[in-house]
Amino acid sequence: MTGPEALSGADQAWLAAHVETCVSCRAFAENARETIHALRAIPIAAERSLVATTQMRVRRRALELQRHRERLWLVSVSCIAVTLCALLSAVALWRGFEWLGARAQLASLVWQVGFLVFCVTPALVVGILLLARDTHLADHTGSYQG
Amino acid sequence: MTQESTEIARGLRRRDPDLLDRLIEQYQHRLLRYLLYLTGRRELAEDLFQETWIRVLERGHQFNDKYAFSTWLFAVARNLAIDHMRRKQPASLDGLLNDDEVPFEVPATGQASAFDLTLQREQNEQIAAGMQHLPAEYREALVLRFQEGMSLEEIARVARVPLGTVKSRIYRGLSALEPWLKGAPL
Repeated sequence: MTGPEALSGADQAWLAAHVETCVSCRAFAENARETIHALRAIPIAAERSLVATTQMRVRRRALELQRHRERLWLVSVSCIAVTLCALLSAVALWRGFEWLGARAQLASLVWQVGFLVFCVTPALVVGILLLARDTHLADHTGSYQG
Repeated sequence: MTQESTEIARGLRRRDPDLLDRLIEQYQHRLLRYLLYLTGRRELAEDLFQETWIRVLERGHQFNDKYAFSTWLFAVARNLAIDHMRRKQPASLDGLLNDDEVPFEVPATGQASAFDLTLQREQNEQIAAGMQHLPAEYREALVLRFQEGMSLEEIARVARVPLGTVKSRIYRGLSALEPWLKGAPL
């Protein structure tokens, strides 16, 4: 035995001698031994149905987690792909606007603002639509709550 | 730790359902017994038993193979039991202390002579009844020490208390069980 439960040989000898002579300690040791024996003898078993149900639930949850992980992976890959496409198309669009500006003999600031508006407009429109939708939902919830 | 713990840790990180099946089989009785003594109620213990394994699946990557799997398993089960009690009332294991609604169910022992069987069963019932009257912390310490055979250090890790507290809980628990062993009324 190691750690805090270990007793040195000398300590063990002292304890054994003490238990021999001390009535109350001997009684405690005997009672403790009997209690421990009785404790160990209490049979408690899990029923087969509990184990089977648990195994089934764990398998089902494992499947859910796996599907979730796969979905997350798909979303991550899509995000990366979209970011790459956006970067590439931004470069191409910049060149396109620059070319158009030169053809139309516009000031640099004008075609650059045009480029910004073109890039930001879709996000703005989607944002406004989502906000409107949320406000609509909030109004509905508020009216339901009275 | 052992090669076994390392393999379990690897399998848990992969969320290997076959490994989980094996672990459930292997630890079924020990975990249920621990939960039963901790909660004092069979139905609750069985619910927590299932929740524990779901949690093991979800948080398996947190298992540190430096320690025995059983130590981590019991710590997970204990946390779930405490969470359950906190939902009922803001306390730790205190909510399980004075629960004398339903006695422990002690199943009949195996094949033995009728006399031995009766004697053993009576003693089991006395001790089971005595356990029910102990504070949950003492029950927990006794079951981990004498039924699970855990070291004092492992119990301290599961219960998150100092070593001295574990020793004192075991001593007090054993002392409190003495009258029941001698035949205190059920």
